[in-house]
Amino acid sequence: MALEVEMRQVENGITVVAPTGRLDVAGAPALKEAISEVVKTGPPRIVIDMGGVSFVDSTGLGSVISALKQIRGSQGELRLAAPNQQARVVLELTTLDRVFPYYATVEEALTGF
Amino acid sequence: MGADHRGFEFRASFSELDEGLGILHQSVDRLRRALGRGQDDRPLMLFETALGEIGGNVLTHGRPPGTERPIEYSLLLDGGTVVASLTDSGSPVHEHLAREMPAHDVEAGRGIAMARALVDELGYERDGDVNRWRLVKRL
Repeated sequence: MALEVEMRQVENGITVVAPTGRLDVAGAPALKEAISEVVKTGPPRIVIDMGGVSFVDSTGLGSVISALKQIRGSQGELRLAAPNQQARVVLELTTLDRVFPYYATVEEALTGF
Repeated sequence: MGADHRGFEFRASFSELDEGLGILHQSVDRLRRALGRGQDDRPLMLFETALGEIGGNVLTHGRPPGTERPIEYSLLLDGGTVVASLTDSGSPVHEHLAREMPAHDVEAGRGIAMARALVDELGYERDGDVNRWRLVKRL
C-alpha cells in the first residue's frame, strides 16, 4: 500500500504529520514532500505520528533524517510518536533512537512541546 | 511453534517497486500464518525487515533501463530455517557488501548493514549477468 500522509494543526502551532502504510523506499517521498510543505510556512514544530506506519525500512528512516535536518535548519523541532515494534527495532539497530527520542503516544509527544 | 514447518514454499516474479514490495510482505504474512505466529513474532519481524531492505535495493537497482527480465523471488522453509532468494539483472554490487552503518546525519546507505545484522546469513553472488541474493534466518 502506498504511503498516505495526513496533516493536522493542533495547539500552539504544532503540526501532527500522520503517515499511514509502509514508510519504505516506495513511500518515503510522500513523507518528505509533506514535511517540506510544513517547513515552508515558518519555524515548524512537528510531531510525526508513526501509529499508522506498518513497516519502516532504511529509506523511510532516511526520510525522517531528512525531515529532522530540514526542520532544524528552519529553527524548528521534531518529535516522533507511537512507532510500532518493528520501527523501534530499526531505530535501535541504527542507533538513531539516540537522535530521535520517541514518545509512546502523540499526546505524550505534545506534552511540553 | 504450533505448525508444520515443512512444505512452505512461495514463488513470484515482479518488476514494479510498490507491487514487488507488497508481494515480499505478503509472502512473510503467509509464512507467519502458516506457522501460527503473531504479528509481533520477533525472528520473523527481523527477517521481514532484512527482506524489505534487500528487496528494496533489488527493485530499485536490479532492473536497469531496457531490462525485460523480472525479479525472481522465492521464500522457502527448511526445518526451522527460512530462506529467501532474489535474482536481479542489475550491476554487480560487491563493493557495497561490507558497507558499515553510516553516521546519524547521513540519509542513505544503511540497507545492507541493517540486513546483515538481522539475519543469520546474507549471501550474494554474481552469476553471469545476474545478482543472486540469499537471506537465511533460523526461526
